[in-house]
Amino acid sequence: MSDEACKREDRRSVDPAAVEMLRIADREGYATIWERYEKQQPQCSYGQLGTCCRICSMGPCRIDPFGEGPSHGVCGATADTIVARNLARMAAVGSSSHSDHGRKVAQLLKAVADGSNTDYRITDGEKLLAVAARLDIATDGRSLPEIAADVAAVAINCFGNQDEEPLVFLEKYMPKKRFERLKGLEESLYQATGAKIGFLPRGIDREAVDILHRTHFGCDHDPLSLVAQSVRCSLSDGWGGSMIATELQDILLGTPTIKAVKANLGVLEEESVNVVVHGHEPILSAKIVEMAQSPECRQAAEAVGARRVNVVGLCCTGNEVLLRQGVGMAGNESHSELAIMTGAVDAMVVDVQCIYPALADLSSCFHTRFITTSEQAKIPGALHIQFDEHHADAISSRIIKTAIDAFPNRNKGRVYIPQHTATAVVGFTVEEILKALGGTPQPLVDLIVNGTIKGIAGIVGCNNVKVQQDYFHRVLTTELIKRDILVIGTGCWAVAAAKAGLMDLPAQELAGPGLQAVCKKLDIPPVLHMGSCVDCSRMLNLAGAIADHLGVDISDLPLVGSAPEWTTEKAVAIGAYFVGSGIPVHLWPLPPILGGPAVTRILTQDAKDVLGGWFFVEEDPVATAAQMEAIIMERRAALGI
Amino acid sequence: MKRIFVDYKKCLACKACETACALEHHPGGNLFGALGDLKTQINVRVLGIEQEAFPLSCRHCEPADCLNACPSGAISRDPESGAVLLDPALCKACAMCAMVCPFDAISFKVTHRSCYNRDVAYKCDLCNDRVKEGGVPACVGACHSGALVFAEYDAARGTRAAKSLRTYLLGAEGVPPHVELFRELRKKEFARRRGGE
Repeated sequence: MSDEACKREDRRSVDPAAVEMLRIADREGYATIWERYEKQQPQCSYGQLGTCCRICSMGPCRIDPFGEGPSHGVCGATADTIVARNLARMAAVGSSSHSDHGRKVAQLLKAVADGSNTDYRITDGEKLLAVAARLDIATDGRSLPEIAADVAAVAINCFGNQDEEPLVFLEKYMPKKRFERLKGLEESLYQATGAKIGFLPRGIDREAVDILHRTHFGCDHDPLSLVAQSVRCSLSDGWGGSMIATELQDILLGTPTIKAVKANLGVLEEESVNVVVHGHEPILSAKIVEMAQSPECRQAAEAVGARRVNVVGLCCTGNEVLLRQGVGMAGNESHSELAIMTGAVDAMVVDVQCIYPALADLSSCFHTRFITTSEQAKIPGALHIQFDEHHADAISSRIIKTAIDAFPNRNKGRVYIPQHTATAVVGFTVEEILKALGGTPQPLVDLIVNGTIKGIAGIVGCNNVKVQQDYFHRVLTTELIKRDILVIGTGCWAVAAAKAGLMDLPAQELAGPGLQAVCKKLDIPPVLHMGSCVDCSRMLNLAGAIADHLGVDISDLPLVGSAPEWTTEKAVAIGAYFVGSGIPVHLWPLPPILGGPAVTRILTQDAKDVLGGWFFVEEDPVATAAQMEAIIMERRAALGI
Repeated sequence: MKRIFVDYKKCLACKACETACALEHHPGGNLFGALGDLKTQINVRVLGIEQEAFPLSCRHCEPADCLNACPSGAISRDPESGAVLLDPALCKACAMCAMVCPFDAISFKVTHRSCYNRDVAYKCDLCNDRVKEGGVPACVGACHSGALVFAEYDAARGTRAAKSLRTYLLGAEGVPPHVELFRELRKKEFARRRGGE
């Protein structure tokens, strides 16, 4: 079925595999996010406008957006205060989710370095040396574990740092001009107002706790101050927690390299034990992929009549193992229920973030074992197999054994795997991109300067039930490459692009003449998969590499971001650290801010002058592409190119 | 006679009217008593029609089709308030009233007011006792955004007309621009999902 046909066929998704599965869901009466969404209608507009405050027990308070009812909460909070506090809390949660992921990786690196964990090892020594050099850690004549211990110590200290100095990771990774701009901004605001407003994060945990404190009853009520702290906390994610997660995962699990993979539900195999890994943290799932290939697991699978153990990914855990180990990608967030409905999933193994609790109930309709593994993500109805990095091999084996044991219970009559897959060339880390360019960003800079490529758009994740699945991702991406704008990105957007074939080499034909010629010369697709949503840090690094190479600020570069189909608080943090790094960001659906006119103005207008990045909202993907192009052209004009 | 007027563009779908109605008609009169009590009666329902929300309840028509259709004499009108009232003791749950109601404002179930634990018809009673004491129906009292107004028809019309004219004639502020934008974007969002481009 063509994309156009799918679009008409089912208003819920443009993905042909999803359309087929939704037909089954409708026939069998399986509940889905789409059905539950309809049951939630109408949804409360106070929440959508951001003007519902549930912070203290004198409330909940709501502000009448029409200006006739209450204009203040019981405590006197205005609509703008309420909107800004709610937004700050979203940024704190989003930032904490990414950063806590990074914390575990840092702790694991420490354990590997001191030898207390032998299940993992330093896989990419070259990356370790590069990270150490970046952090000014001595490497000459020292062993890898010694260096790793120092890297881990610096990373761990970033979380709990208590002094007033900026985060070490941020200081070492952020391009110089951007760092100076934020520092200067703090100083000039202090001189102008006499009040302290900070943009440079001090400690990763501290900035989130700071928001929890300042949004407590009766603390910070100033919208500007609250938005500034939201940006600061988000920067502690992008240049801190997420950066640590990405860099240290590369050291432990290997830096991804360019490879071709298959994406969509067709990666499930009728004759194999199918294990779907879903969530965000690759520490466990990488082990599961490794263990699935072991002779013992292969024999156990054969013993129950299966061909092999087929591990496939979903969501960002999927992106992580896809990039490093080349496994198949079953789909993005909205595919999670659909995968189980194929009846061919023997186990779905989840870690943290973006896992619908509905999956437990749905799994109980099938033989599927739904396995939770994280202390931080338990779901009623799931089988919990506690993950512990120190016993990773044994636990992974147990999980695979559970899947193999479930295989004979599979009802073959109910199995339906939609035969859709697309090839995707993935793994475009900064290292790989620079390697392709000959070790320096200069060729890319030249291409941008001479206008062959107009600029770069970074698109990030999620599916959102309010948008037809993948529709915005596909149309926006296609429109951008048509305009000679290179598209890079992560998360569920990346999976959407992979499923749509936009990361395959024939997609070069969809690109404008300039971008097309470049992609053909370098033998790359016009749409580059940079990783999971935590790997948005790779996009920051690419932007930083170009900025430092030219000695300019990121906000001078023809770069623009978008989070179409965004859903989670993590997306709020990503959007805010892009904006704080000087990159304008498009959002759709509407963020819950319109109830606060001052907050809306700060985020969509004032931020442009102050930070060089700002937010804008647009519902139509083609109009969004036009706006993104206009921003790029404006920046090119400002650079005189 | 005063009626509940709905300014649906101001309905934010917070459902405070539903909660207030449930408490008003619950013998316990508090949220924790009504929670999980299947006999709790909610006479107003906020319905989502695409991007719009509409708090729907009995319109207390005159003449009322339900009153005319009821074979057991369970439905009557309070001459003082004009409220169309339903006596659960006389109701036989035949559903004639529900079938003729142009607003589908009548439901059936076992309520705290039904006899012998059997299904009875239930609907908005205009909070008749409150209204006769000079108050407003519970739903109107709970509405923050002005979507529900309890007023004489002429008075309601006059106030609305004067406000609209102030906007048209004097350019006075109507709906705040951010709220207008919010409504516009929601309309687009729903239109695309339903197949409009």
